[in-house]
Amino acid sequence: MLLREVQYVRPESLAEAVRLLGEYEDARALAGGQSLTNAMKQRVGSPEVVVDLADLTELRRIERAADGSLELGAMVTYAQLVVSPEVAATHPVIGEVAAQIADVQVRNRGTLGGNVCWNDPTNHFPPLLAALEARFTIVGPEGERIVAAEEFFVGVFMTAVGPGELLAKVTIPAAGGTGTGFASVTVGRDGTCIVNAAACVNGGAPRVAIGCVAGTPVRAAAMEQALSGGDLAADAVRAAARGLGETLDPPSDVHATADYRRHLAEILAARAVLQAAERAR
Amino acid sequence: MSGIEIEASTVVEERTQAPQIGFVGQNVPRKEDKRLVQGQGVFFDDVKRHGMGFVHFVRSPYAHAKIVSIDVSRALELDGVYGTLTGDEVAILTDPFFEMSTPPGSEIKDYALAVGRVRHVGDPVAAVVASTRELARDASELVEVEYDPLEPLVDAERALEPDAPILHEDAGSNVVWSGQFDWGDFDGALAEADHVVRIERLHFDRFASTPLECSGCLVEYNRGTGQWTMHCNHQMPGIGAIWMAPSLRVGLDKLRFVTQDIGGAFGNKICLHPQFVACCLLARKLNRPVQWTEWRTDQHTANAHGNERTFLDVEVPVKADGTMLGFSVRAIDDCGAFPRYEPLGCIIWAQVAPGCYRWRNIRVDFTQVCTNKSPVSPNRGYSRMQHLWLTERIVDIVAKELELDPIEVRKRNYVRSEDMPYETPNGCIYDSGDYARCLDIALDLIGHADLEEKRREAEGRGKLLGLGIGSTLDSGTNNFGQSQLLNPELQFSGNNEVATVKLDIFGEIVITLGTVPQGQGHETTAAQVAADILGCTPDDINVRPGHDTYWNSHAGFSGTYASQFAVTGLGAVKGASEKLAGEMRKLASVVLGCSPDDIELAEGQARMRENPEAALPFMALGAILNANNAGLPEDLDVTLNCRYVYRPVFEVPDKERKFGNLTLTYATQIHACVVEVDRETGVYEIVDYAAVDDCGNRIHPQIVEGQVHGATAQALGAATHESFPYDEEGNLLTPNFYDYHVPHAMDMPPMKNGFIESPSPFTPLGAKGMGEGGGAGIHAVCAALQDALRAAGGPIVNDSHNNYGRVWELLRDPGASRALVRVESGSGS
Amino acid sequence: MEAGSVPAVSRAVSVVVNGEAYEREVDARRLLVHFLRDELDLTGTHVGCDTGNCGACTILVDGEAVKSCMLLAVQADGVEITTVEGLEEDGILSPLQQAFSEHHALQCGYCTPGMLVSATYLLNNNSEPTEDEIRKALQGNICRCTGYVNIIGAVQAVVKGEVSA
Repeated sequence: MLLREVQYVRPESLAEAVRLLGEYEDARALAGGQSLTNAMKQRVGSPEVVVDLADLTELRRIERAADGSLELGAMVTYAQLVVSPEVAATHPVIGEVAAQIADVQVRNRGTLGGNVCWNDPTNHFPPLLAALEARFTIVGPEGERIVAAEEFFVGVFMTAVGPGELLAKVTIPAAGGTGTGFASVTVGRDGTCIVNAAACVNGGAPRVAIGCVAGTPVRAAAMEQALSGGDLAADAVRAAARGLGETLDPPSDVHATADYRRHLAEILAARAVLQAAERAR
Repeated sequence: MSGIEIEASTVVEERTQAPQIGFVGQNVPRKEDKRLVQGQGVFFDDVKRHGMGFVHFVRSPYAHAKIVSIDVSRALELDGVYGTLTGDEVAILTDPFFEMSTPPGSEIKDYALAVGRVRHVGDPVAAVVASTRELARDASELVEVEYDPLEPLVDAERALEPDAPILHEDAGSNVVWSGQFDWGDFDGALAEADHVVRIERLHFDRFASTPLECSGCLVEYNRGTGQWTMHCNHQMPGIGAIWMAPSLRVGLDKLRFVTQDIGGAFGNKICLHPQFVACCLLARKLNRPVQWTEWRTDQHTANAHGNERTFLDVEVPVKADGTMLGFSVRAIDDCGAFPRYEPLGCIIWAQVAPGCYRWRNIRVDFTQVCTNKSPVSPNRGYSRMQHLWLTERIVDIVAKELELDPIEVRKRNYVRSEDMPYETPNGCIYDSGDYARCLDIALDLIGHADLEEKRREAEGRGKLLGLGIGSTLDSGTNNFGQSQLLNPELQFSGNNEVATVKLDIFGEIVITLGTVPQGQGHETTAAQVAADILGCTPDDINVRPGHDTYWNSHAGFSGTYASQFAVTGLGAVKGASEKLAGEMRKLASVVLGCSPDDIELAEGQARMRENPEAALPFMALGAILNANNAGLPEDLDVTLNCRYVYRPVFEVPDKERKFGNLTLTYATQIHACVVEVDRETGVYEIVDYAAVDDCGNRIHPQIVEGQVHGATAQALGAATHESFPYDEEGNLLTPNFYDYHVPHAMDMPPMKNGFIESPSPFTPLGAKGMGEGGGAGIHAVCAALQDALRAAGGPIVNDSHNNYGRVWELLRDPGASRALVRVESGSGS
Repeated sequence: MEAGSVPAVSRAVSVVVNGEAYEREVDARRLLVHFLRDELDLTGTHVGCDTGNCGACTILVDGEAVKSCMLLAVQADGVEITTVEGLEEDGILSPLQQAFSEHHALQCGYCTPGMLVSATYLLNNNSEPTEDEIRKALQGNICRCTGYVNIIGAVQAVVKGEVSA
């Protein structure tokens, strides 16, 4: 509950933030603070320096690019996603999922960037953004680089954002339509996810990503293959999901056994696809 | 959220008390509310003292280990650290806490800090005091403790095995207490039965009510007088002092407990004496006030769990028509690393030995063991809840096996209102109640008539619908003589509570309670009772908030626990108010020149009934006696400061037969729960819920209803997501609210409430204690799940805690749990 | 507001709480809830857990409901804060505070400050919430006493204008 001694700094520009993160070896970016503060309170993650990104207004923008893709600044809060007209017009599932995270107070502060950079396996956005094939713009001392979802998520609490770097924005391609679904089983309403699944059927082969079963979101490759023919009727989708559980090696913990997670992964993958198919119409 | 409110007395031969007309029975505005909604309540952590130090406990990371060495030198070097305390000092400065059990449990040595050995993760090993909270935390990391880990023990049945690790060497056994109870003629019942239903195993899970405010104290030590003052939230200071004073080698009066507002307790703030003694020693050693705030993780790992109980070899003789003749069971209770308030839990269940039912032949083999888990504390529903869950499981399982309707089985076997007051097989007296009627109301509230239609409709959506009933009794006002059934050497029996009601010099009525409220509205209800007797309004009455030993208005059992305030606390207020009223009439009669019987108290005055003009306002009475008393008769025995000790009528129970009245009142809760289970995932939702309560005459109906809501929410939490599981190393897997999910506003089902009033013939106000609730929600959810899953292989719900994963297991392999139950059909007479 | 180009172990913080301005030097590691309670003596905001789950510490920061145990005090430099102590005006309880009492929406009162702030935030942004919206708005505030039934009832009473003056 009580933090170790820490140094605090609040840069006024993205460049300054990147410089500070590079200059101090044990520096962490402080976004919404809904995860980092907890780690600091438990003393399991006590950086020497916290770099508060609160003044970096350029990271709080939601924009549609010329090619129709949706650009979400890393410091956009869940609350902003819930009410954003741009999000509702392009990928409403993003606002719907944001609305399921924790509670009002958390949503007022918690950020998209924090959610994906923290990469807790039970977080909502990693599998959703993996299914949406989002691209992640990372800013570092050498400039900008763009990383695809499958490279962005590296492991439990680990992403491609390296020391001295900062996630600036997440871009979701405009692959037309609203055919994205998200299904989850949680501990209590809107609680921690036990298993979650996201599916996207907009144009091209369906993408299905499962969360809470590994250190990074897992694409259900065999299921995607089985569905590539285009038959998204309920029986076909459920048949395609069968066997997914056996390919997974999820953890057992206080909320679920590995077997239960394997089972839920199959059920929720199918439900996410069916939801996506329904919404694509 | 409207409920059906049915206010009518049920069949009871006579009332001891004419119905109150006045403030009792009304929803008067709560006196507590204004300060609390303003954020002006005073909870212990709000209290500050100049120069105070903040305490942080160094706690064991091991479930079981020898303490090899403790080095505090680096902590002491940190700037801002005032001092430390270790187990070595504690062992010299204090004596072990008083243990209530017989040998071997009596030999357990329990100190304020771990001495020689740690016995659960979180066991406090040392304490550091510093000028800020953060520094104390920093310093605690500089204390170097060397441990020699021992094999952890995390299973109650394993605790009994000959090669199990022994937690307390002085005891030489992990058994805290064991004994047999045998009432009626169980063998005869077996012979008479048409069927015997055998249930191999049932398990009541470990959880706790986790009050939002954690425990703590700010302790000041007066060097000149040797007096400790603790601003704290101890909910039972009477027993707190009984533990602490001998340990500190001082008289009881040297320990002053002061509470004002407490953020919930639910039985979790009874066993705070170890940390409090550590703080007392530190306050004395460091010559400054010291403050300890428990953090959420500390509360979960190291303060207070509810009793975890395993029921083995349950045998239930029944007749073919569903009449249940009795039951036999072997119970193993896991009390964690230290008994403390235990082994009282080994007898308290006997207050409701037959539950709501008329069976006459009960045999219980009860053993309580220590394990390397957090110690238990009398968590809401203490020990009765676990036992009532057993009786409810028995009823539902028997009904299932015999293919009878669980509702019909209940009605057939319930104690009937015409039998009240009803003596149970072990001599407890159920005072009043109409269980069948409550059940009917509950069924009506959840639309029982349409149930089958709802079931079909749910099936169309892929859901299995189920209805379950939970019947419980909230036994209140203990006869502490039941402790002698566990240990005949104990010198506890009966019960008492104190109140002082005075009329002060300016005519204000001041009430001082012995209880320790944590939100139950004591200030308000005490004022209601007194106002009716004294002929004024609750606004004329100042009830001092909280508790203070220095008020000298308490007794050995004082506190707020065990569903008794409406009886004991208000009984004391009634007695003290009547005493004061008598004195006021006597004084007025002297002044007005008439007989006391001619005087009535009304509208804030003492006046002659026949001539209301001849009146003395309260202020005049107060002033005359206190400040203007020359000329009053020498023998006028009036103080206007009336202290009354309410003492319910109890006998010491028969120790041979373990027979006697153990509790004064029994409030009824009958709950009905409708669930829908997703057969693909095991995820379930409570779609309808009704709670019917009967606590006799309700002093303040809104407060009663609030308690029912709260108890239901806690029970539903325990049934669905709240559990304290341990891994093999003895680590608690849900050490804080991140993993221990308690219900929030979105988790609650629609709730309907019904109330009837069966006044108690035994209490001063016809009211019964209530509030704990008996865990009805847990029993109802278990029953509803079992009913829902009848269509999916018919598994048996055999654990009190059923999260989605467990429901899925029941769906996946219904045979595994069904195999726990066997029915033998024999020759009955 | 200072330019923050050099990390520091403590900083000067200027903050307005319930309309009153405060300036203090604060350790960077001090949580906002402890700053409010221990340094400003505003003890109405409570601590109920250590993982940001219970909401007892809820306050308004620049009008938004947030958990003050999940913010460092130094992050509050330059903001306006409302705590439970700021809900009443000139000693007159707000309609929500009144309604909580009338509807017995509090028992022990420990969750009540956070609950009131969250409910205030809801009604500041949505004057006619449905029951579901009320529940969702209070989802981040745990109560162990009331089961939420009367809390929802109290908020609904304010929405319907049924609170006594």
